[in-house]
Amino acid sequence: MTTGATSTTASPPATAARRPVPWTSIGWVTLRQRRGAMIGVSALLGLIALYLVIMAIIENHAYTAVTACHPAAAVKCQQLAQAFSATYWGGSSSALRSGGAQTVSSLMFVVPVLLGAFVGAPLISRELETGTFRFAWTQGAGRTRWAVSTLVLPALLLTAVTGAFTALFWWYFRPFLADGQVSEFLPLAFGLLGVAFAAWTLFAFALAAFTGTLFRRTVPAMAVTLIVYIVLAIGTATTIRPHYAAPVTESGWNHGAGAGWVISSWVKAPDGHQLSQAAVSSLPIPASVQNSQSPDAFNNWLTSHGYTMWQSVQPDSRFWQFQLTEGGWLLIVSALLIGGAVWLIRRRGA
Amino acid sequence: MNVIESTALGKRYRRTWALRDCTLDIPGGHIVALVGPNGAGKTTLLTMAVGLTKPTEGGVTVLGGIPAGSPDALEGIAFVAQDAPLYRNLPVADMLRVARSLNRCWDQRRADDRLERLAIPSRQKVGELSGGQKAQLALTIALARRPGLLVLDEPLAALDPVARDDFMASVVEAAREDDISVVLSSHVLAELERVATYLIVLTRGQVQVAGSVKDLLASHGAGLEEIALRHLRAGVGATTGTDTQR
Repeated sequence: MTTGATSTTASPPATAARRPVPWTSIGWVTLRQRRGAMIGVSALLGLIALYLVIMAIIENHAYTAVTACHPAAAVKCQQLAQAFSATYWGGSSSALRSGGAQTVSSLMFVVPVLLGAFVGAPLISRELETGTFRFAWTQGAGRTRWAVSTLVLPALLLTAVTGAFTALFWWYFRPFLADGQVSEFLPLAFGLLGVAFAAWTLFAFALAAFTGTLFRRTVPAMAVTLIVYIVLAIGTATTIRPHYAAPVTESGWNHGAGAGWVISSWVKAPDGHQLSQAAVSSLPIPASVQNSQSPDAFNNWLTSHGYTMWQSVQPDSRFWQFQLTEGGWLLIVSALLIGGAVWLIRRRGA
Repeated sequence: MNVIESTALGKRYRRTWALRDCTLDIPGGHIVALVGPNGAGKTTLLTMAVGLTKPTEGGVTVLGGIPAGSPDALEGIAFVAQDAPLYRNLPVADMLRVARSLNRCWDQRRADDRLERLAIPSRQKVGELSGGQKAQLALTIALARRPGLLVLDEPLAALDPVARDDFMASVVEAAREDDISVVLSSHVLAELERVATYLIVLTRGQVQVAGSVKDLLASHGAGLEEIALRHLRAGVGATTGTDTQR
C-alpha cells in the first residue's frame, strides 16, 4: 500500500457482496502496534545470543583440545575432560563468567515465560485498560478478524523466532552432549532443545494473552502467567514428562553417554526380591567402595555380592518422540487459550 | 430511513439496569442530540447501536434495519467514544493508516485535507495532541470512513469552550457536505442547541421526549433548553420512587 495516488474514495457498501477487510491490512495494524514488543524481544534475544555465541566459541574450542587428546584413557586426558566439565558445565561460583552452562541453562528456564508474558499480556488488556477497544472493535474489519490477527500473528512470529533460536542452544550444548556428561533428557537441556523452547514460549504467550483478556489488566495477567507457568513447567519436567512413553526396564548400572534418562533405580537381592531404601543403606558396604571416585564401584560391589541393580530408563533414542509429544500438547493447549481469548472478545460487552 | 431503531431494548450490568424497555426511532438526515443526565443510559444505548455491547433484552437495528454489530452495520457507522480513544503512542500519520487498514472504505485525501486545515502535524504523536486536536483527529478518522451514520458519545465533555465551538462547527459542516446523519449525546444542551435538528431526552433509561426541534419549538413555544429541562424534571419526577435496582 502506498499513500496518495492509490487512496481513493471508495463507495459505501451497496447491495453487492461485502468483501471483508484483507488480512494483510489488519496484519499491518498488528505489526505496527507490536513494534515496541518486537524491539524488546529482539533486544533480549540478541543479548542472550551474543553471550551464547561467545561462550559457545570458547567452549567448543576447549572441547577440541579434549577430543584431540590421545589415548583417551590416559590419566592426562581424563583430567583434561574432567577439568573441561568442571569449568564449562558448572559448579564453580563464577559460573556465569566462566560459562558454566548448568547455571546459564537454569537461567534460560525463565526466558520463555518472560517473552510470553511481555508480548502476550498487554495485547488485549491494554486495549481494555485504555479504552481503545472502543475504537478497534467498531471499525469495518470487525472485532473477530481484529482479535485473530492481534493474537495469532504475534504467536506465529514469537514461535518462529524462538524456534530458530534453539539452533544456538544446540551449538552451545554440543560439547556437553558429545561428552556424555549431559543427557538431552536433562530437564535443563530438554527445555531448550528440540521444539520445547518454542513450544513453552508459545504456551506462555497464549496463557498471558488469555488471562489479559479475562482480567482486563496487564499486570495481574503477567503475575498469574508467571506463577502458572513455573508450576506447570516444573510439574511437567518432574511428573508428566516421564510418562510420555512406558520406560524400559534394564538390569545393571548404566550411566554416561547413551544411557538415556534414568527415571528410577532399585536393587534386587540374590533371591530376586526388591530391597527397600532402608535395606540398601544398611548393606555392609566397605568405606573404600563408598568413598571411591569411580561411579562403577558401588555397582561392582553389588554384583560381586549377588545383588543386581535395576533401573527404568527412557532411552536417548526417544528424545524426538518426547519433544514432539511435549510440543504437541503445548500447541493444543496454546491454541485452546488463544481460541478462548477470541471467544471472550466476541462475547464481551463494553 | 431510521438510522437507529430500538425495540423494548434493555441492558443490565450485573443487577443494575442501565437501560430498560427503550423503544425509539431515530430518523436519518438529522443532527440528533441525545440529552440526559449522567447515568441516563445514553452511552449504553449508543454502545449497543454501534455493536460494542449486546442487549440483555429487546433489539436494535441501524441504517434502515441492519442488525447492530453486523459487518454491514460496522462498516456503515463511524463511532467516536467518549474521550476519543486513539492509540497515544502512534504518530498521527500512523494512526490514520491504522484506521485505513481496518476499513475497506477510506478517503485519505479528505483526511489529509482536514488535518492540514486544522494544522495538526502528521508526525506528532497522538498522545501529545491537545484535547481539541485529539477530538478533531478522531472526527477526521470517523469522517474519512465515509459513514452513513456518525455516532459521537459525549464529544464535548473534555473540551474547552473554543474547542467545543470548533468541533461542533466541524460536525455541522461534515453533516452538510457528506449528507450523513449524526447522533451525539451530551449531558449539557447549551452547545447543541444551535446545531441539533432532532432532540431526544433520556432519563433513567426512558425516553421522555423525542421529536424534531422545529416541531418541538412550535408545539411548546419555548427555547430548546427549557423544553429539555422541563422533560428532564418530569422524567425524574415520574420515575422517582421506582426501584431501578430490580
